[in-house]
Amino acid sequence: MASDMKGFFRQQKKNKSGGIVKPKSSSKKNSSASDVVQPPALVSHGSFDLQDEYDDKEEVLRQFDVNMAYGPCLGMSRLERWERANAWGLHPPKEVKDLLGAGKVNSECLWGGRV
Amino acid sequence: MAAAPMPMEVDSGNGVLHRKQSIYKSLDESFEIQKEMYRGQQYSQIYFARLHLMRTLLYSLLPTWKPHLPVCTVLGLEEGKECIIVGTIYKHMKLKPSILDEYSKERSASPLVQPHNFINSDDYLVLEDESGRVKLRGTVLLPSVYVTGIVVALQGKETGAGDFMVEDILEAGLPHQTELPLNSGEDKYVVLVSGLSVGSSSANPLHFQLFVDHITGHLGDEKEQGIAAQIVQVIIAGNSVEYPRGLLNGQNLGSKDQSRLSEPIKELDILLTQIASGIPVDIMPGTTDPANFSMPQQPLHRCLFPGSSAYNTFRSCTNPHSFELDNVRFLGTSGQNIDDLAKYSDAKDKLGFLERTLRWRHIAPTAPNTLGCYPFTDRDPFFVEICPHVYFVGNQDKYETSLIKGSDGQLVRLICIPRFAETGTAVVLNLRNLECHTLSFGTQLGL
Repeated sequence: MASDMKGFFRQQKKNKSGGIVKPKSSSKKNSSASDVVQPPALVSHGSFDLQDEYDDKEEVLRQFDVNMAYGPCLGMSRLERWERANAWGLHPPKEVKDLLGAGKVNSECLWGGRV
Repeated sequence: MAAAPMPMEVDSGNGVLHRKQSIYKSLDESFEIQKEMYRGQQYSQIYFARLHLMRTLLYSLLPTWKPHLPVCTVLGLEEGKECIIVGTIYKHMKLKPSILDEYSKERSASPLVQPHNFINSDDYLVLEDESGRVKLRGTVLLPSVYVTGIVVALQGKETGAGDFMVEDILEAGLPHQTELPLNSGEDKYVVLVSGLSVGSSSANPLHFQLFVDHITGHLGDEKEQGIAAQIVQVIIAGNSVEYPRGLLNGQNLGSKDQSRLSEPIKELDILLTQIASGIPVDIMPGTTDPANFSMPQQPLHRCLFPGSSAYNTFRSCTNPHSFELDNVRFLGTSGQNIDDLAKYSDAKDKLGFLERTLRWRHIAPTAPNTLGCYPFTDRDPFFVEICPHVYFVGNQDKYETSLIKGSDGQLVRLICIPRFAETGTAVVLNLRNLECHTLSFGTQLGL
């Protein structure tokens, strides 16, 4: 039966030279069939461009931003929110305050200026 | 450079009558917004501040209420488990006007905005905290009594449908009050008036002039002047002027119209100067006064009162207004908070709303939901920290008063001040015993 099916539903084209054939271009513009998100040429420093100025210091601060125990993060700078949490006895992590004091980090929350 | 008030000197048989005095202390600092900075924040911060403040308070009351039950967050609710949740109430109201209704393609048969009350039998309550919200069921909480913005503790359990069946409720209750030695000392009176509406066509200027003459001691015989000499403070609770609305239609005003616009406030200043020259007077802004719209309303500017602001007895205050007079603590508003409650909930009378706000420990729970309010980020100034002895609301339909008691022996005099332009009535309170009576002025010209 299987062989009948095989003959019935052709797996391959009968004639390879005839019929409609697309012209093949000699130089491929991109490896569009690949699974990789970005073509190798665009990957910089060995890591993907998905990072976007987002290092682990920012990660810690972002976790502080979305932590609901300290309230909403929009409309206040990160330091102000930390000070408020501290004043209310919520014991916000000291690490966050140190990072904010060190500088070179975003003083606004992750949605700051974008909403 | 401020002129001191002249002692009320009246040439009577017994000599000069002196006005009594009281020690005044303003407590309006928390209602001032000069130090606040607006950074584009929305209202989530004030709700969080309110929830944190009141939840901390309610947690401290739980051990005396139901010590054996666990406390959960809304997300931590388990079906069938008896527990306590604390959060902010949200009331879903079908008839509540929404700006989006203007854009809806389907217009319902009922009009878009009903002026008086938006209560409907389909209203339901939801409790919300940072983790989530849950619909409230059961007969303990009547939706018509509650409004959005109150923070409470509820005892009950989650039902199979995912709602919370309420069995009991804990409100914050009256805060602590400093004890007053009642019935000691002499009689000293505070006069409360509101809704003067100077400049409106319905206000009779003669009534207010009579009022001013009476309290400054220019009316009546020696006995009446003696009574007037015992008035130590006048409080004007909002809506002192009313502008001709027809002028404010967005068009440029000609010079004649411009002078028409400034007439009411000039007239008010003349009358206030007469009062301020003899008695300390506090003036609060209201909805029709030239002040900002959202609560807390900021004091009316001194430049509006060139005559009366020269006196150190003249004080322009915030709305809400809080102060102490001889250690008697006063708290009151020009009416917006209670009027908003009356739109979104039901009570037997306006005093009922007043009492509820004190027992919820928050004088304007509907702010910022339906009552305009400043988006504070780290505090909620409408939270009542210390229980007042006198709690008033201005611009009401009629005079009402009652004395309420708290569970810790607090005693509060509640006063609804009627609109003077309509009723010709002011309220007089005796500081010695917190008793109240009215002072009415009429001019029946023999009809």
